[in-house]
Amino acid sequence: MRETTRLLSTDEALLIGLAEGSDRALSQLYRQHYPMVSQLVINNSGSADDAQDIYQETLIVLFEKVSAGDFELNCQLKTFIYAVARRLWLKQLAQRGRSPLIRANQFDEEPAESIADDLADHQRRDQQFDQMAESLAKLGEPCRTLLEDFYIRHLSMQAITEKFGYTNTDNAKTQKYKCLTRLKRLFFSSYKDTE
Amino acid sequence: MDAGEKEPIENMLQAYGRRLEFRDKLKRVHQQLEADSLLAAPVVEPRAQVRAWWQAHRSTLAIAAAVAIMTTFATIILYRSYQNSHKQEQQYGMMMRTMGVIQQTQNKLLNNLSGRGRVFQQNPGQVAGSGFLLTASGFMVTNNHIVQGSDSVYVQSQQGVVYKARIVHSDPQHDLAILAIGQDTAFHALPPVPYSFEARPSELGERVFTLGYPREEIVYGEGYLSSGTGFRGDSAAYQVAISVNPGNSGGPLLDEKGNVIGIITAKQITSEGATFAVKTSILLNALQSISPDSLKGDPLTLNRKNRMVRFSRKQQIKQMQNYVYQVKVFKH
Repeated sequence: MRETTRLLSTDEALLIGLAEGSDRALSQLYRQHYPMVSQLVINNSGSADDAQDIYQETLIVLFEKVSAGDFELNCQLKTFIYAVARRLWLKQLAQRGRSPLIRANQFDEEPAESIADDLADHQRRDQQFDQMAESLAKLGEPCRTLLEDFYIRHLSMQAITEKFGYTNTDNAKTQKYKCLTRLKRLFFSSYKDTE
Repeated sequence: MDAGEKEPIENMLQAYGRRLEFRDKLKRVHQQLEADSLLAAPVVEPRAQVRAWWQAHRSTLAIAAAVAIMTTFATIILYRSYQNSHKQEQQYGMMMRTMGVIQQTQNKLLNNLSGRGRVFQQNPGQVAGSGFLLTASGFMVTNNHIVQGSDSVYVQSQQGVVYKARIVHSDPQHDLAILAIGQDTAFHALPPVPYSFEARPSELGERVFTLGYPREEIVYGEGYLSSGTGFRGDSAAYQVAISVNPGNSGGPLLDEKGNVIGIITAKQITSEGATFAVKTSILLNALQSISPDSLKGDPLTLNRKNRMVRFSRKQQIKQMQNYVYQVKVFKH
């Protein structure tokens, strides 16, 4: 990849790399802030696995925000990660019925409001993805595999035609369209149910 | 069908796909970094845990402490006010009589007594109670609260003869005092006391009677033993349903046969008919603790033979009244 030779030192460069899907940027970012978050979690009655989960969740929040292209970092990246991780862990503790008191030094310049918004977005997306997974499970075969192959595993229509043994790609596309319509119905019916 | 514009569900599916992909990527990165041991182990701060715990729970603890302090003080204040409103003195009235009120009746007494009553004329006694002889040789028992803080103690027989008494022993804990009048030259040894002393605990419902001096004359009262314990469960005393008045303190409490089973000490003001009497067994213990020096050579041996067992009550009283004295105490 392009960036592999570049030294990714600044937050901005790292974020650009992350948005572009650079493995090196992700790896560097991961290394940079992992100790901070794992310390936060482990010192607040969490395990190493909890720390890993929370950190990865935090990075997902960051990644999805960066990918959306509307990310404005109005504090240090470190502050953002810490604030998000702290809130996520707090929520996790509350869900486990533990004391919601957490000992962590809050950064002064933490933009609490925008982070709250980010987390609300994240939670909404989480919910949608859960419903998506549920709907896909309900969809049954071969629709599920077909859609996953096309949209998630990015197989070409040609490959799908061959894999599923359709006579031609048009046939496969029709099948995909039918599947998508069913998925839509499943997804939005459950979406309404929960609302 | 194959239109350029994508449906929202397609966007969502793709976003979902990206999320799964990124999650996998993160796992891979983590494994890779861990394998290369590039992930620094977090520093666990064990010492900070106590401090952090304190910081986390400080407010809770502060509230708890405040509540505890307030509860403590409220309890103390309530207890104080309870005590004040139910003062023991008010509830537990010692049956001594202040003598100011009886000064008028002294004239009669003085007429009968040549010279011996003069002492009352000069300085009327301040408190009075009852007492009764333990031995014919002049040892008698009364309540400590009558004689405590006294300058001088006199006893007056039913006939009106006054003797100077010496305090041989006092037991403030059980409110007992032993007096001796044997040294007074006017005192002549009496026939042996007609009653005996019953140290064994008496049964509830035992018919009891007492003689005492709530006024200048000897007064008889009778009742029954109502409880084996005294005020607030005091095991050294009986509760007796008998009507007593100030001045009855120190009087004997006798059962039907004429055995002394206790010494009247007090009554509960707040309830009717609850009088308390120190048990004879306590008296016997007190007698044993008297040092021989205090007795000045006179032996203090109690009468064991009850000569009143078969007497009627009227005869018992007649026999007894010579042995029950009025105790008059002078204080500054």
